[in-house]
Parts: sequence; C-alpha cells; structure tokens
Amino acid sequence: MKRKMWFVLGLLALTALLVVACGPTPTPAPQPTKAAPPTQAAPKATKAPAVKAVTVSVWFHSGKGEERQVLDDQVKAFNAANTDVQIKAVQLPEGSYNDQVQAAALAGDLPCLLDFDGPFLYNYAWSGYLAPIDKYVSDSLRKDFLPSIIAQGTYAGHLYSLGTFDSGLAIWGNKAYLKKAGVRIPTGIDDAWTKEEFLDALKKLQALPEVKYAIDFKMNYGQGEWYTYGFSPIVQSFGGDLINRKDYQSADGVLNSPQAVEAMTFFQSLFKDGYANAKPAGDDDFYVKKVTALSWVGHWMWGPHSKNLGDDLVLIPMPKLGDKAVTGMGSWNWGLTSSCKTPDAAWKFLDYLISPDEILHMTNANGAVPARKSAIAKSKLYAKGGPLNVFVQQLESGIAVPRPVTPAYPVITSAFAEAVQNIVSGADVKAELDKAVKTIDQDIKDNKGYPLPK
Amino acid sequence: MTEMTEFSPPARTLSRRQSEARMAWLFSAPALFLLVVFLIIPFIMAFWFSFTDQRLVPNLNLPTQFVGLRNFVRLAQDETFRRAIFNNFYFVLIVVPLQTSLALLLALLINQKIKGVNLFRAAYFSPVVVTMVVVSVIWTFLYNPGEGMINQFIHTLSLGRLGPYDWLESTTLAFPSIMLLSIWQGVGFQMVIYLAGLQDIPEQLYEAAQIDGANNVQQFFYVTLPQLRNTTIFVVLATTILAFKLFTQVWVMQGPSGHPQGSTMTTIVYVVSKGFKQGKIGYASAMTVVFFLIVLAVSMLQRTFLQEERAVD
Amino acid sequence: MTVLTRSPYPAQYRLRKSLRRALDYLVMILLAAFFLFPIIFMLVSSIKNNETQVMSDMSSLYAFVPRGDVGLKNYFDVFAAMPFGHFLFNSVFIVGLTVGGGLVVNSLIAYALARLRFRGRSLVLGVVVALIIIPFEAVAVPLLLVVNRFGWLDSYHVQIIPFIADAFSIFLFYQFFISIPKDLEEAALIDGASLFQIYRTIILPLSRPVFATVAILQFLTHWGDFLWPLMVTRGEEFRPLPVAMQQFFSMDPKMWGDIMAFAAMITLPVLILFLLFQKWFVQSVATSGVKG
Repeated sequence: MKRKMWFVLGLLALTALLVVACGPTPTPAPQPTKAAPPTQAAPKATKAPAVKAVTVSVWFHSGKGEERQVLDDQVKAFNAANTDVQIKAVQLPEGSYNDQVQAAALAGDLPCLLDFDGPFLYNYAWSGYLAPIDKYVSDSLRKDFLPSIIAQGTYAGHLYSLGTFDSGLAIWGNKAYLKKAGVRIPTGIDDAWTKEEFLDALKKLQALPEVKYAIDFKMNYGQGEWYTYGFSPIVQSFGGDLINRKDYQSADGVLNSPQAVEAMTFFQSLFKDGYANAKPAGDDDFYVKKVTALSWVGHWMWGPHSKNLGDDLVLIPMPKLGDKAVTGMGSWNWGLTSSCKTPDAAWKFLDYLISPDEILHMTNANGAVPARKSAIAKSKLYAKGGPLNVFVQQLESGIAVPRPVTPAYPVITSAFAEAVQNIVSGADVKAELDKAVKTIDQDIKDNKGYPLPK
Repeated sequence: MTEMTEFSPPARTLSRRQSEARMAWLFSAPALFLLVVFLIIPFIMAFWFSFTDQRLVPNLNLPTQFVGLRNFVRLAQDETFRRAIFNNFYFVLIVVPLQTSLALLLALLINQKIKGVNLFRAAYFSPVVVTMVVVSVIWTFLYNPGEGMINQFIHTLSLGRLGPYDWLESTTLAFPSIMLLSIWQGVGFQMVIYLAGLQDIPEQLYEAAQIDGANNVQQFFYVTLPQLRNTTIFVVLATTILAFKLFTQVWVMQGPSGHPQGSTMTTIVYVVSKGFKQGKIGYASAMTVVFFLIVLAVSMLQRTFLQEERAVD
Repeated sequence: MTVLTRSPYPAQYRLRKSLRRALDYLVMILLAAFFLFPIIFMLVSSIKNNETQVMSDMSSLYAFVPRGDVGLKNYFDVFAAMPFGHFLFNSVFIVGLTVGGGLVVNSLIAYALARLRFRGRSLVLGVVVALIIIPFEAVAVPLLLVVNRFGWLDSYHVQIIPFIADAFSIFLFYQFFISIPKDLEEAALIDGASLFQIYRTIILPLSRPVFATVAILQFLTHWGDFLWPLMVTRGEEFRPLPVAMQQFFSMDPKMWGDIMAFAAMITLPVLILFLLFQKWFVQSVATSGVKG
C-alpha cells in the first residue's frame, strides 16, 4: 500500500512538472505562470464595467522607509482617483536593483515604468530599454524643472527620464563644536571654505576632546554608488574627472591625471592623518554618538541629523579644494520602457508623480531637493532662507557636476569605487587610478566606443 | 510482445531484444534529455562563449563577435582573477589538511564503543544540515568586531592579551575567517564518510596486529591509516573540489567584490560578478573553462590514485 | 584493547583505561561545544525580544542563556517584514519536486542501465559517469541563457527542471540495482510481467534504502541552493528561503534578533528531520563516499 502511494506520488510530481514545463515553452509570449499567485493585485471590483482599465506595471527600488511609504500612498491614491489606468507596483531591493533590471531586460520582461539611479539611464537608453519622453514634456514644464534634472535625463539629444527630486551633497556640521574650535562657518556657496581653511578646520576640530574624528565620510555605506557620488566631486574640484567628457572614449589622462592623483592623495591623507575613520562601526558617529564634528553626506540625512542635533545642525557648502567647489547631483528618476505597450497610461502616472504637490509629498518625507522650481518655492526646507537652501544654490549655480553621460557609466562607477576603497585602505593612489583607467578604457573599446543607436 | 512470439523462438528473442531496447531507451529518455539540455549543451556553450564577447543582454548596436583568445589573454593579466585562483588554492592548502584530519579524529572518537556516541555524532553532524546562507549569517554575528563572541573568547583565553580583531574587515583575516566557518559546516559530512571507512576495516587486521604486539598508535599507523587510503583520497579530493566551488559564504558575507579589497575573491564569485552582474558572459565563460579544467585535473588525480590502489590489491 | 585486558596489572590498567575514557569524553564534549555553540547561539538570540539584550549578551556566556524578555516577538517581526510563509512554501515546493522528480527519472535510467540490454548502453553509462565531474558552477552562466531562451526566468520550473536529472544520483541507483539478485525479475518475466511492472513491483520495493539515500543527499544539496535562484528569480514570488534570508540579512539597519529568528526558522525543520532520521542521514552520506 505504502509503496504504491510512494510511486503514485512520484508520478504525480513528474506529471505536474511536465505540465508546468510544457506550458510556457512553445509560446514566447509572457508566461501564464507568472501571473498565477497574485500577491497584492489591487482589487478592481468597484470599477465601472464600461471602461476597461489599463494596468501599468511599475518597478521601484525599496529605498528608505518613508520613501516607500509615500510611493505606496501615491499608488493607492492614483488608483482610487483613476478608473482608466491602474498601477501595479513592485518594489525591488536597492542593492541588486540594476542586476534585476538587466535580468528583466534579458527576459524581455521589463515593466512599463521604472525608476533607476540617474546615471544608469545612459546605459539603459543606449541598450534600447527606454523610450524618449520628449513628446510628453511641454516647454513650460521642462523649464520648471531644475536644470540638473533635465541634464541628467537627457541622452543623445532626447529626454528619457524625469525625477521627482534631486540630491544634494554638502558638509553637515555640529555648530557647537565648530564654534568651540573657532572655525568660520560659511553661509553660502560664495564664501565656501578653501582647501587650506578646510584642513585648518579639520585640525582644530580634531583637537577637541569630544571629537574622535573630525569628519565622517560615511564609509559605512560600503563600496558602491556612494563612493562615486560622494567622492568624485573631490577629483573634479582638483581639476580631474572620471572620464574625458569630450567624446567619452577614454579616461586616460583624466582619471589618472596629476590633478586626480593629487585629489585622491589628499583624500587618502585625511584617513592617514586620523581626521576620518575608514571603518566606522555604525552610521551615527556624527548625529548620535557625536564623536565626529562634520559629516560629508547628502540631503537624505536631514531627518536623523535635524532630529538629533536640533539647532546645533548647520549645513556647509562644498569647499573649493582646487579652483572651484564641486558637488554631486542626480538621484533616482523615472523612465518609460520601450517595450511598454501603454506608454500614455504610464505617462499619466508619471505626470501625477511629478505634479508639484506630489513632489512635495515625497520630498517632505525623504528630505530631498524638489525637482521643480514651483515645488521648491512651496518647500519650507528649500525655499530661500530654509535650512537646506544651500543644496538649491549648489544645484542652480552650476557647481553640481553630473556623473558621466555615457553608457559606460556602470563600469566607470564600479572601477572608481574600487579604486576609492583601496586608496582609503592605503593602496598606491597612482597605481589604483591607472588600474581603474585600464578597466574603463578596455570596456569602452570592447563596446566599440558605445556607438549611438541608429 | 506480439502473439508471434508464442510460436517461433528465434523471432521471439529478436522481438524481445527489440522491445527491451525500446523500453531501455524509453526509461532513459527523460534523464538523458534533461542532462543534454541542462548540462551538456550549456557546458559546450561555455567553451564556445569563451572565445566570443557574448553579452548577457544582447545589444542591437553590437552583435556578438568571435574574439579568439582575447578572454584568456586578459584572464592571464587580470589581477582579480589571479587573486581568485590564488585564494582557491590557499583555501585548499589550509582547509583540506585541517578538515580531513579533524574529520578523521571525529570519526575515530565516535567509532569507539562507548556510551553516548550517537549523541556526539549528532552534534558533530548537525552543522551539515544548516544551510550555508544561515551559517554565513550566524558567523558574521559571531565575528562581530570589538565585542563579538569570538573576539571575547580569544580575549579571555589569552588573558586579555589578544584582540579585538576586525575579522571580516581585515585583508589578512577575512579569508581565514571564511575558512573556519567552512570547516565547521563541512567536517561532519567527511566524518561520516570516514566512519563508514573505519567500520569497513576487518576486525581481524587489528587482532593480528595486537598479536604482533602493536600498541594503539602503531595500530593506527599500520592498520587504520593504510586501510583508509581510498577513503582519504576521496575525502581529500572531494574537499578540494568543494574548495574550488566556494561561493555562498563569500557572497553573503563579503559581497560580489570579495570585500575587503578583493581579499576574499574566489573564482566562482568572480564568474558570477562578471557574468551575471556585469553581463560579460564571454569573459565569465573563459573563467568557467579554467575552473573546469582545474576540477577535471583534480578528478583525474583521484581516478589515477584509486586505480593504482586497485592494481595493488 | 582485548589484548590489553590480559595485562598483568589489572588495577593499574583499569585506572589508566578510565583516565583515557575520561579524556576521550572531555575531548568529545569540547568538540561538541564547538559544533553546537553557533546553533544554540542562534536559537537563544532569536527568542530574546529585546534587541539591546541580544547585542549586550553576545560577548559573554549569557548569549547561550535565554534571559530577559523572552518570547517570539522576533519571529512575528519576521512575518511582518516578509512573507516568510510564502518563501517556505517556495522552498518546499521547489525542493520537493526536484527531489521527487529526480527519484523517478534517475532511477528509471539507472534501471535501464543496470538491467536492460541495448546498443549504446555502455556509452550512456560512460557519459553519465563522466558527467558526474561537471560541477553545476561550470555551466551556471550559459545555462542562464538557455533557460532564458525558453522564457523560463523568474518561475518555479526554472528552479526545478534543470536539476531533476542528476548524474551522481543515477550512479548511486545503478550501483544499487546491479547488486540486486536477478532471480526474482527472471521469474516475473516468465510470468509475463512487463519491464515497467518489474521495475515497479520488484525493483522499487527492494531499493528503498537507495531511494532514501538519493532523496536525502539531493535534499541536503538543494535546500541550501543559493547561486541559481539568485540568478533566475527577481521579486518575492518565486524566491526560496536562502535568497530571502540573504535579502533580509542585507537590509539595514540590521536587527540581529529578527535575523536569528529567520535563520532559526530555516534551520529548525531540517534539524528536527535530521534528529528524527539520524540513522538515514548518516547512512546516505556514508554512501556518497563510495564513488570512484
């Protein structure tokens, strides 16, 4: 009896398998299995039967809790307000987001609308995953966006993406420590610290008994996009860059130029001289433990910083390490995929997301710089005189440099991040930058210089 | 099995043969089909791709091209790859002797006819049933810098003279740390194989040795070890092959770049980073080919050794 | 040891013997501590509701003592943060079908190889033995392109079908089948039984040990599968436990109590199975060593 059951079970398993296996094979179309267990499909029961709603699939990265919450709310609100378009949103972990997009592109299974970290746009657009959105964006709408957002979203003469917010990178300071050490606090980008002033400030702050490290570089984020976003401005401030932007064909003589070497040697010295910790145990050295006086990090720390430091928090513009101050820019933004069959419906949702009110809905939660001037004007944090206005100044004045506009960006950022990691751990600066250049140039050559799509 | 078989014996055997052959192919077909599609074809593809610049996601602007030996030439110059291969050998060099002798020691201990061996056997084997991802996670916690359990343990044992160490962040300690947890997880498996080997040794051999006046140590060296020769060869080479497949621990604990500074990079981690994360299938395939050749060499070694032994018997 | 009982100094000998025994036990207990402490550490940490307690206890023997606020809060947290039940179902479903399908498919071909005469038999056998040495890792990347060609990415079957046929399992079955005496089958043949009937009514019942062995070995292999599901699954829908665990682990800030609860929930079922069927597990593993 038992034996028989065993056998029958095995046979059942096998037939089940074969059924599953044979199902999708002959049809190259989307697999029926995929839709089988609907995890959280929005209930559409209340819809009027006359209008058949278009379902738009949307992917977004699961960022910080607040960001996720807002987006969930926005999706719900949108679905409730619209009968013709329904959004089915899926969130994916940020750490492997790009891998997932690649894998979906491979499977021909991209959603209609997705968000991605700014500079990955060029690779996606070049590879043909994305569709231009020029026709949806009117001139007046275009002008209302921060120039940095438009610059970031443009590739080969077409606009491919829009963000609801931009990022800001500057130095957060503990005012009490700065005052105690007698350090001048710049108030706008015009009176930013020079390199000498910056070093002098570090020296004075380091001398304070409360301070273990003068500055925190958020090394706890680990090797990844942060290294490029956060530290390539140092290279650029000294006069180097990640790649020759004339034709984006080589990094040689740019990323390993004397200026770049000088910049990274300077950066390395901050760790060698004990001003910065290469391996912070946690995230909160600056704002909870208060053992660092400065924190070199983006807008996204506004929440924890202001909550814990209160009036002691001050935002200091990026220093002029070389001839000019340079800061980072760019953030997650939205693009329509070329495989999307209902681009108009997808645009409707994106159009909703970039409305000033929804932008503020998001930026009030995550502390980012609103992407539209009309939204900034309504923002308490970013409007003139607001505590984070420095970020807007930096973005509008042109000291914010976009990350390289090239499909080679994924390789550039991973090569540079690796170099940063090794340099901070004490490796030879020139050798590391040469290695990064070699990796980048080899990739560009392997891809025939990334010829523009016809 | 037609009616004809009833009358004519020669026709009957022929048809019996035929039907037997037909059934044999029918029985073999599912497995053969699956093996061909999911093992043999991809295997051949790996060789083919290693001579091309195949991408993970095909790109309309750049069709795949034959690039000759370019991938292999680059591999030879690729520092990260050299580090990965070096690490695999480093792992073999340290882990194989340690794990094999520990496995043998454990097997000898629980092969004694004393009370409670079953309990001990269960204890030593239980890490084997803990999934590697979970093992990696637990040990990451144990290796916690500063106040972690392992630091504290060493601190106490050394009467406060040693530590704390930053196990997973140090370029010299990170890889040995992974070795330790790999041994912890894997040794129970080898122990059981040794145990089976021990139980296969004929009791008479020991009796004869005792009559010759051999003590326990002598018995171990002159009876046990030689009798375990095949088992040892198997354990050593199986562990070696496992060492070359090292992936999960590194990926979970140190990520795709073999943090810190590539010091924990292994061949398979690099294959997945290049092939899957960066989409460079051609380059990753070239690494796969090298990896396979190493595994093949190890397997050949095993077969030669075992054959020798058989010839002696 | 039997020789030594004839020793002329029984009292002294007995003392030495019990000393040795005590030493043996000491070594065995220390080793057991080494192998068990991480598991106990995981289990105990997972039931400490207070994260601060988990962190402050981790550097002392308190890590092994369930003290303070003890309960299942971490477990509930895991369920709140992630559809754990769904991942568990995925894992059980995938591994169950892989192992179950493998038992049928691999034993069938092994039976043909062991018992039936057909042209090409030795070739097929040779190929199967040769395939044992190709590790999955060597084909993972091209296999990704193959399954993509079939449109299988992000599904259950992509995690099942490629792993059903397994050369080593076939080999184990084959070895076992050739050791079964042929008399019974011959008698059945004369009675007019078909080959499939013979396989089902004679071979299967006699081969339960090897089926258990293959099932356990395959289960141990696939329960922890990580590389492949990492490459072929995207969202939560088809992900098995190990990938979900890694994802949970990489979310900041790390709540160690929750992470340990997650780890415990993956480990406990298998650990319990192992303790219940210890003999079978050990036998299976022992069998895997006789290859070559």
